[in-house]
Amino acid sequence: MTLLKRMYRNETEVPFSKLWKSITLCSLAVLILSVGGIAFRGLNLGLEFEGGGAWEVPAENIEAEEVRDALRPLGLADARIQTGGGVLRVRTELSKVTQTALDSGEESDPIVAQVTTILAQITGQEETAVSVSTAGPSWGEEITNKAINALIVFFIVIALYITIRLRWEMAVGALVAVAHDIVITVGIYAIFQFEVTPPTVIAFLTIMGYSLYDTLVVFDKVRDNEHLLSNAKLSYTEVVEKALNQVFMRSVNTSITSILPVVSVLVVGSGIMGAVTLREFALALLIGLIIGTFSSLFIAAPCATVLRNKFGDEDSDKRSYRLSEAVRRRKKSSIPTASTPSNPAIPPRPRKNKRR
Amino acid sequence: MKRQVLFPIIGILVIVGGLLAWSIAAGNSVLLGLDLEGGAEVVLEPAEDIELTGTALDEALDRSVEIIRNRVDGLGVAEPDITRQSNRIVVQLPGVEDQQRALEVVGQTAELRFRPVCAILPPVPIEVDGNPTSGNDGENEGPVGLLPSDEDAPPEEGPQSDANEDNNAATPIGIGCENLGFTQNDALGMPNTVADDDIAENPVILPLLDSEGNPYQRLLLGRTMLTGAALETADASFAGLEWSVFPTFRSGEEGIDLFNAAANACYNRQPICQVGQLAIVLDGVIESAPTVNTPYFERDQIVISGNFDQTRAEDTALVLRYGSLPLEFGDPTDPTSGSRVRLVSATLGQDALDAGVVAGLVGLALVALYMFAYYKLLGVAAMLSLAISGTMLWVMISWLSETRSYALTLAGVVGLIVSIGTSLDSNVVYFEHLKEDIRNGRTLRSAVDQAFPVAFKTIFWANLASLIGAAILYWLTVGSVRGFALMLGLASILDLLATYFFIRPVVKFLGMQKLLQNRPWLSGLPTEETAEQK
Repeated sequence: MTLLKRMYRNETEVPFSKLWKSITLCSLAVLILSVGGIAFRGLNLGLEFEGGGAWEVPAENIEAEEVRDALRPLGLADARIQTGGGVLRVRTELSKVTQTALDSGEESDPIVAQVTTILAQITGQEETAVSVSTAGPSWGEEITNKAINALIVFFIVIALYITIRLRWEMAVGALVAVAHDIVITVGIYAIFQFEVTPPTVIAFLTIMGYSLYDTLVVFDKVRDNEHLLSNAKLSYTEVVEKALNQVFMRSVNTSITSILPVVSVLVVGSGIMGAVTLREFALALLIGLIIGTFSSLFIAAPCATVLRNKFGDEDSDKRSYRLSEAVRRRKKSSIPTASTPSNPAIPPRPRKNKRR
Repeated sequence: MKRQVLFPIIGILVIVGGLLAWSIAAGNSVLLGLDLEGGAEVVLEPAEDIELTGTALDEALDRSVEIIRNRVDGLGVAEPDITRQSNRIVVQLPGVEDQQRALEVVGQTAELRFRPVCAILPPVPIEVDGNPTSGNDGENEGPVGLLPSDEDAPPEEGPQSDANEDNNAATPIGIGCENLGFTQNDALGMPNTVADDDIAENPVILPLLDSEGNPYQRLLLGRTMLTGAALETADASFAGLEWSVFPTFRSGEEGIDLFNAAANACYNRQPICQVGQLAIVLDGVIESAPTVNTPYFERDQIVISGNFDQTRAEDTALVLRYGSLPLEFGDPTDPTSGSRVRLVSATLGQDALDAGVVAGLVGLALVALYMFAYYKLLGVAAMLSLAISGTMLWVMISWLSETRSYALTLAGVVGLIVSIGTSLDSNVVYFEHLKEDIRNGRTLRSAVDQAFPVAFKTIFWANLASLIGAAILYWLTVGSVRGFALMLGLASILDLLATYFFIRPVVKFLGMQKLLQNRPWLSGLPTEETAEQK
C-alpha cells in the first residue's frame, strides 16, 4: 500500500519514538538560534510599544496612500497615517535618542526634518505649519505587565487542569511545547527584524492557544490508549507511539484546514491584493500553526513520555486506567442509546488491531 | 426514529435563523476598529493656568493616560488608541461617530463634589430692582458667573485683576455656606453658574432637574466639603425602582470622616449647612440633594440616586471608581484651547479590509474543496456546521459591538480566518474516530453512535482548556488582548455547541440513509472491502 493510502486509512506506522531524538536535536538547534536572535538582535518593537514622532499639518483632500508613497523613500512606508478634520496626522517610529532630543526641543534629527519637508511639500504648506512632537506608546508598560501577569496565571491554571484531567507529565509536556512554539515564532521576528505591533502579539497568543489545543487532543488519545499498558503489555513508549499514529491523520488534516486560509491571506491578501500589513502577520501565523501541530507530536509527546518513563509508577497507570474507564461508562449512560443496540459481546472501545 | 434526529437539526436551524433575523431586525452591525474605519479623536491639552511643570507635570499626564484608559476599558472592549504626545493626550476611539459620546467617554472634567445646600431658589432668576449684580450688559451676553471675582460682580467685592488667575483669593474665606460674599437676595437675581466658573472652593447656583430634564428649582450651593477623592470605589445597580450609584468611601480622615463631618453639620443645621440638605454634584449637575436624616454613616451605606438611566449610572460609577483626572485640561469644544475633538480616518483603510475579506473567502473555498475531497458528504456536513457557527459568531460580534463597543480590527479579521481551520478540527476528530471504528468492523450505523461520545470527550476537554485560558486573559488584561480572549472564548463555546447540536444529529441522519449504507465511499469512510482487506 502506498504511504498516502495508508495515511488515509490511519494505518501509518511511523516510528515516532525513533525520530524523537534527531528531531529534538533539530528543534533544540532552532530554539538556540531563536533565543540567540532574541538576545542579540532584540525585537523590532513598533511605534505602539516604543513611541515615536507625530506630525500634524493642516490639509484638505489628501489621500493617505499619497502620503505613504511620499514617505516610502525614507523607509517609513509603515507610518500610521490618518486624515480627517482638515488635518493630516502622521506617526512613525523614531529612535529613543531622537525622541529625547525632540522632547527637549533641541536641533532635530535629519530624519525628522526630512519628514517635515516632505509633509510640507505634499500638502503645499509652509514648513512652519507642520507641528512635530513625540508620540508616547499607546501600548504602555501597564498593559504589558497586565498581560504578563495574566499569562503566568494562565500557565499555572492550565498546568493544574492538565494534571487533574490527564497527568502531570503531560502538563509539563504541553507547556514545554507551547513555550517552544512561542520562542521560535518570536525568534523569527527577532532574526528577520519584523516589526512587532499589537496585532503581532495577538498572533503570538493565537499560536499559543492553537498549540495547546492541539497538544491536548493528542494527549487525550494517548490517555485513551493507556489501557494497552496492561491489556496488551505494551511499554509506555509503544502506547504513545500507537496513539500518535492514530491521531496522525487528524493532525495532518487539521493543519491543512488551518493553514490553507492563512496561506490564502499570505498569497491572495498580501501578495496579489497588496495589503502589506498582512504579510508579516500571516507569515508569523503560518509558521506558528505548522510548528504548533509539529510540536504536539514531536515535542510534547516525547517530553511527557520521557518524564513518565522516568518517574511514573505502575500503580498510577492502573489507577488512571480505571478512572478513564469510569468516565467513559458514565458518559455512555448519559447519551441516549440509538436504534441499533450494540452487541454486548463486542466490547465497545478497545481496538482489535493486534497486528503488531 | 427519524424524528429524533431531524428535530435537533431543524431546531438549531430555526434558532440560528431566528437569531440572525433578530440581529438584522435590531440593526446590530459590526463595529470596525480604528485601523479599518477610523473613529473619533479627542485631544486634551492641559489648561493654560496649570502650575505643574517638569516631572510633576509628566507624572500627572501619565496618570491621566492611565485613568482615561481605565475608563474606556471599563465601558467595554473597544480597542482605543491612547497616547501621550509631548504634553498632549490623544485619545482615539473606534467608530464613535458621535463626537459628543467620545467626549463623554473621555469624561475629562468629571469630579464628584459634595456641597451643602444654602438656599432653594425659584427656577428662573428673579430681577430684584436695583440689584447691582446684574450689570448693564451682562444679562445680554448670556449666562455669566456667580463668582464675586466675575466681571458682573460688584467691584468692591474683590480685586479687579484677571478673574481666572486668583479666584481663590477673591472669595471670602469660609466653610460650606458660611460667608458666601453675597446675600440670598442677591442670589435670587443671579444666573446659573456656567461650567467654567464651577470651582470647588466657590459657591455655585445650579438648577435641579425633574425626570424630564426641566429645571424646577435652583439651588444655591456652598463650598465643596469633600470630593470624589474620598471614595474608594463605586458601583451602579438597579435598586428599588431606579438605577442608583453606590459609592464606598475610604476609611479614615481622608474618607468617611470627611463625609460624616458634612453629614453631621447638615443634620444639626449648622450655619455651614443650614438647610440640612447635602447636594451631590457631578460635573456641574446636581445628581441629588438629599436631606440628611442621620448624623453618622457607615462608609458603604451611601446611595446616590438621581435621574439615572442605566448608561448614566454605570458611567458615573466608572468615573467615581477610576477617579478624576489629576490635571485640568482645556475644553475640547472650545476652539481657543489646545484641546479638540474631531473625526479621524482609518490607519489602514478599506483596501486592507477588502484584502482580508477576499483572502478569507478564498481560504474558505480552498478548505471546502479539501474537506469535500477528503470526507465527501461528511465534509459537506462539516462546512454546514462551519456556516452555522460562523453565523452565530457574526450575530455575537455585532451584538457585542452594540452593547460592549467591541470593534473588529484587522487582527480580528485574521483571527476569524484562522478560526475557520480550528473549528473544523472537532469535525476532523470525530470523522477520524468514525473511520477507525468502521475499519475495526463496525457498521456505519453503530459506529456513528459509538464514535461520537469518545470524540466529543476529546473535543470537550480541549475546548474547556481554551475556555479557561480565555476567561483568565479576559479578566486580567486590557485592550486588544482582551478582545482576543473574548473571541477565543466565543469560538470555543460555539464549536462545542455546533458539534453537539448540529454535527452529531446530521452525521446520525447520514448514517441512517440507505444511499450511504450501500455506497459508503460517499461518506468518505472506508468501504467494506478495504475493511476486510486487512
